[in-house]
Amino acid sequence: MMKFRFRRQGNDPQREKIKQDLFAFNKTVEHGFPNQPSALAYDPKLRLMAIGTKSGAVKVYGSPGVEFTGLHKDMATVTQMHFLPGQGRLLSLLDDNTLHLWEISLREGATQLEEIRSFTLPGRPGIESTSATRVTVILLKWSCDVACLGTEGGGVHFLELPSLHLLDSKSLFQDEIMQSVPEDYKSGKSLGPVESLQEHPQNPSKILIGYSRGLVVLWDQTTRQVDNLFLGNQQLESLGWESSGKTFVSSHSDGGYMVWAVNSSSPRTQQPVSSIIPYGPFPCKAINKILWRTSESGAPIVLFSGGMPRASYGDRHCVTVLQEKTQVTLDFTSRVIDFFTIHSTDGAKDYDNPAALVVLLEEELVVIDLQTPGWPTIPSPYLAPLHSSAITCSYHISNVPTKLWERVLAAGQQQSPPQTHVKWPINGGKNLAPDPKHKGLLLTGHEDGTVRFWDASGVSLKPLYKLSTANIFQTDCDHNDSLTQPGEEEWPPFRKVGCFDPYSDDPRLGIQKISLCKYSGKLVVAGTAGQVLVMEVNEEMSDHLINTATVDLLQDREGFSWKGHDRLAPKNGPISFPPGFHPIILVQCLPPAAVTAVTLHAEWNLIAFGTSHGFGLFDYHRRGAVLARCTLHPNDSLAMEGPLSRVKSLKKSLRQSFRRIRKSRVSGKKRVVINSPTSKVQEANAQLAEQAGPADVEVAPVQRRIEPRSADDSLSGVVRCLCFADTYLRDGTHHGPTMWAGTNSGSVYAYALEVPSLEKFSEQSVEAVLGKEIQLMHRAPVVSIAVLDGRGNPLPEPYEVSQDLAKAPDMQGSHSVLIASEEQFKVFTLPKVSAKTKFKLTAHEGCRVRKVALANFGSVSSDDYSENGLMCLTNLGDIHVFSIPGLRPQVRYDCIRKEDISGIASCVFTKTGQGFYLISPSEFERFSLSARVITEPVCTVDLDRPHDSTAHSNNTPGSLQANGTHKVPSANDSHSLGEAEGVLEEIQAALSSPPLDSPNSSADITLDTTGDITVEDVKDFLVSAEEAEKNLKNISEEDARSPGILIK
Amino acid sequence: MNRSFNKSQSLRYLDCTAVEVKSKYGAEFRRFSVDRFKPGKFEEFYKLILHIHRITNMEVMLGYADVHGDLLPINNDDNFCKAVSTANPLLRVFIQRQEEVDYSSFGTNTLTRKKKAVVTLRNDVNRKRPHIRIGMPQDFRPVSSIIDVDILPESHRRVRLYRHGSDKPLGFYIRDGTSVRVTPHGLEKVPGIFISRMVPGGLAESTGLLAVNDEVLEVNGIEVTGKTLDQVTDMMIANSHNLIITVKPVNQRNNIVRSSRISGSSGQSTDSGSSAGFAGMPPPIAGHSFPPDDLESDEESDIVIESNLKRPSRRSTSSTASRAQPQAMPPAPPPPPPPSPPRPPSVISTASFHSQPSLNGAGNHNLSYKLHRDLNLQHHHSSTPIIRESNGSLHKILNTLRTDPRHSLALPRGGVEEDGTVITL
Repeated sequence: MMKFRFRRQGNDPQREKIKQDLFAFNKTVEHGFPNQPSALAYDPKLRLMAIGTKSGAVKVYGSPGVEFTGLHKDMATVTQMHFLPGQGRLLSLLDDNTLHLWEISLREGATQLEEIRSFTLPGRPGIESTSATRVTVILLKWSCDVACLGTEGGGVHFLELPSLHLLDSKSLFQDEIMQSVPEDYKSGKSLGPVESLQEHPQNPSKILIGYSRGLVVLWDQTTRQVDNLFLGNQQLESLGWESSGKTFVSSHSDGGYMVWAVNSSSPRTQQPVSSIIPYGPFPCKAINKILWRTSESGAPIVLFSGGMPRASYGDRHCVTVLQEKTQVTLDFTSRVIDFFTIHSTDGAKDYDNPAALVVLLEEELVVIDLQTPGWPTIPSPYLAPLHSSAITCSYHISNVPTKLWERVLAAGQQQSPPQTHVKWPINGGKNLAPDPKHKGLLLTGHEDGTVRFWDASGVSLKPLYKLSTANIFQTDCDHNDSLTQPGEEEWPPFRKVGCFDPYSDDPRLGIQKISLCKYSGKLVVAGTAGQVLVMEVNEEMSDHLINTATVDLLQDREGFSWKGHDRLAPKNGPISFPPGFHPIILVQCLPPAAVTAVTLHAEWNLIAFGTSHGFGLFDYHRRGAVLARCTLHPNDSLAMEGPLSRVKSLKKSLRQSFRRIRKSRVSGKKRVVINSPTSKVQEANAQLAEQAGPADVEVAPVQRRIEPRSADDSLSGVVRCLCFADTYLRDGTHHGPTMWAGTNSGSVYAYALEVPSLEKFSEQSVEAVLGKEIQLMHRAPVVSIAVLDGRGNPLPEPYEVSQDLAKAPDMQGSHSVLIASEEQFKVFTLPKVSAKTKFKLTAHEGCRVRKVALANFGSVSSDDYSENGLMCLTNLGDIHVFSIPGLRPQVRYDCIRKEDISGIASCVFTKTGQGFYLISPSEFERFSLSARVITEPVCTVDLDRPHDSTAHSNNTPGSLQANGTHKVPSANDSHSLGEAEGVLEEIQAALSSPPLDSPNSSADITLDTTGDITVEDVKDFLVSAEEAEKNLKNISEEDARSPGILIK
Repeated sequence: MNRSFNKSQSLRYLDCTAVEVKSKYGAEFRRFSVDRFKPGKFEEFYKLILHIHRITNMEVMLGYADVHGDLLPINNDDNFCKAVSTANPLLRVFIQRQEEVDYSSFGTNTLTRKKKAVVTLRNDVNRKRPHIRIGMPQDFRPVSSIIDVDILPESHRRVRLYRHGSDKPLGFYIRDGTSVRVTPHGLEKVPGIFISRMVPGGLAESTGLLAVNDEVLEVNGIEVTGKTLDQVTDMMIANSHNLIITVKPVNQRNNIVRSSRISGSSGQSTDSGSSAGFAGMPPPIAGHSFPPDDLESDEESDIVIESNLKRPSRRSTSSTASRAQPQAMPPAPPPPPPPSPPRPPSVISTASFHSQPSLNGAGNHNLSYKLHRDLNLQHHHSSTPIIRESNGSLHKILNTLRTDPRHSLALPRGGVEEDGTVITL
């Protein structure tokens, strides 16, 4: 059978060509903040910043739109990164003690980041412990020709750059240093690992070496002599030069720092110039990193992280900025990974004049303007912390009209007026991408009840506006900001910085579903406690009462009692709203279960919403419920009386948020030694223990029960999707407003609506009459419903036609409805609901539908050719595109790992064939299925790279791009199509005349021709063609045996 | 609320004692009635039919249309009783001359087939090979068959499970495992999917065609190689209403011998195939003769009990439902009994006719009577634990039935060939 299908596919090169013009799969860009960052680097010459992560990713950012991503082959944590300034090269150190050199290069017309070589420091002969050669610190000389590696064993090794060639003869071991150390200081102990290596700012041959025990040595590389010894006695954390080279500063584990004078006259310095414990006198935590920057305007600025009093503020994540009397303790909500200053690196200038402080935290990036008094923060144009509160849902609007765009923009600007006029300081590289033609808006709903609006038009996802719904409700714990207001505590002078806030006041506030009408600016936001808010853009600020209405979805069903959470009570009295989205009405579902589906038709002033109990239709203009329908199955009573699943999930979400908080609080160990032999033994033991476990206990093999879904599966009443359409429901001659709802048990309800005309809106009320009820025989949850017009195109959105923004739908030909369940897609004719085409995805492939959406795919070869397609993401993480209404598989791509359940659940498609999914709680991967619409970084960096003779002689390890590349997929993937080809369609193709073979020119296909594939046709074909595949016969028989049932 | 509703419905139905019978022989038909509760013996009914149709000197075979639209035979007291008790409300009887009887026309969906198909088939009738008779079909519908014997390797078996119209659970589990394949490089271990467990009394077990540790090779014609256990599970469930599994039976002793494809010996091969399956089962008659209460004590059998109760109760509710809506009555079938559908020659359709347990065997009671008794018992002794339990399950079933549109009526109208139900209001 497979052969048969493949042959048919291959027979149509023309169609293959069209497909190649329409579809191409690319993972284009990652939006948001890298998950679990672990290293930071900055190139002051190119003004580029690099972030390394625990998963081995390297991301380079410049000015907005300039982005490069690379991925180490091993999934090891990037512990350190250093730019070779100006060269566009980057040296990274991984957890596994390997060094990797990366290069920004131009390849195939695209600027990419790729790994060119790697290096591992060889173990010292005679010394067994590999940890001795474990690299602790790296110093890249300003000249870029040598890297100095400090090791755990206390040695310093030198590495030629960019060849990564070890200069063996130059290595400096502790014995050599020990010779000049006074006897009384030695006391038989080693100096400990190298903690810091710093190049002398004026004399490149001298390097400052700091050992863990506290000894600091100024070493002259050329003479191989110790210039100065600084006999520190406190355990050393870091060192920092003052730019003149006359003094340096050291930070220590006791929370203090010392300033040392470099005096060439005396080779030994016993005491520092000054020793300060800034947050003493009680025991303090270590100061992990310290910088000393001179400033033309006055006293030097000292910046350090940590050092907080252990008992009272030991759990805070702080960076202190200190300039004479001015001190600010920047108080972050997540762990400080690293920080650097952007300052003048021109050797000719006497002062550093730091312009900005860039702090990389575990969950966000914060940039402080050090030039403006008050040290305000500079809003970041990228790396937005998407997860400042956990994302609960997302919604994309393509092609946003300017009017709405500007209003959202204005509301956002009023919400957070810029605190500083300083431009984004990390502005290297040039963004070559053309300005996006259309504005795209991504809305994310969050656990704390906020909806964030993001500019998703281009490569960098920019925050536009934040809508908070929490202020409308009385929550369990009304957060009083006054508690944490400054002023209460005089010391330390804390200042809250950053927006990552994992605390959720009340899990009921969580946003579940969003729907926005881009023409009218109406927004529907629905949440966990059955709250449905209809909102509208308002440019003025206003105080008003919240109108509320409740809709009882249980109707008169008896015997159901809700044991879940209470509904959210709205605040009493008028609430003031800043410009932005203001609520028109709050509709609350009873019982207050989480809203599972919502839709809006602004032209008819109607919203529809569904929960696990039923669905409702509400007229927000007249503020009255039109319809409420219970979808609960009578047998569900047991399942629903104790809504365990919901209670559990609520508890779970609470627990998870706490866990997240706790996790982010745990300060990571400075270094994890995994290479040591002892740990290897432990590892092996652990593995053995694991293996032994299952062998001892006779574990039953994983098995799966084969049983069809029955009607009394619990939660069968969950409303999965809702849609409005102007179509033919009652008869074939009169079309009118309809509303469709699909449930978890494969039921579809279609209502005919009487919507009064605009003039009569105030007198007449909207009425809904049940028109059709469809029970899908396979009972799989209905994921999506869409109505297609006479040409097989999806109906336009509300207002699109009346505002001349879209072609009017074809109301002449007969409409059809596309119902996508988790197992099958089906197109039924309207108004007589009879099946026209179908594709049984699960029966053929064993995968289940997770997300579907309709999109318009434009052709790359001709501007005016486009096709509509049904995009489908399955539980295996692959994406299929089907033609509509033919439902013939077009392409299939692997997109998400099937284990990545949250990634699959978070996927959202755009109307132009792009999509987003979460690759971590904080990052969206953007992908494109369309060959024409691709949003990807296109940028250049002007490099100043000296000729590198070794570069070409060495083998270049294959680059591993985290981003997808463009050229690869189309050719291979088109071959795999055959598998997805539906059998019925196959037969149809074999039977029918050639024009039907190109199903995608959907306009060409009249609905009737596709509708004529009846089961009997198939059978006749099989009977006559004796050599026909036996397998086909099975399937055709199966079709014959699934008769519909007509019930009056 | 539901409870009282159902009760009254059932009782009302029980009050109505006369069952209208419409019997058809060739193009002629007759109407008469029988008593629902005292239908009498089959012999008497048979004589009555012959008398009414004035064909007393003929050997005929009687059949009736059940609620699912299936043509089922009437040839003993039990199935006669059942036919009467489940009349819907009309009992439609079809008479065939003994020598013209085509047994393959009995069974699932036989009356619902497309008229078109029927027409072509009628022309075909004479050309058709004579069907092999394997005993007398008792009541009923096929629950499984071995198909495609002629195209499959001898070591493989393609089994079709007809869940349609059956209340039994499919009743099996699958697991991951490794199988050994012969490749050019020698034997190779490859991952495979295996049947791991059979639910006693389930459809899979009762067919006897599948066994624990059989390797699953295909599901409805699609190979499972390279698919995960979850994928295969989903595929099977998605195809569950007509599941065709190709297995490599773990027990290769009872394979159908290829050479036996010649018509004469194919009957034998079928026998061996099905007897192989039965070997691994508890003796069916013994199992069925247990009264329901005894079986309830067995932990794993309560599923079986449910289905025992389900059938009669369902029939009764559905007949009530249909009385309320007489216009939705199934369309009359074509006058002569529909001959066999065009089965592919390789189908051994009689491979495993397996009767519904509750209806099989001599020890069975009148089912409607049993239901009646259960309902009565509810009134009088609702404190008895066993009875209460059965009440519970009965009501559960009644509830399911009330809301499950599939059960309310069976025959589709001509134009609907979709497997979805369209409820027009």
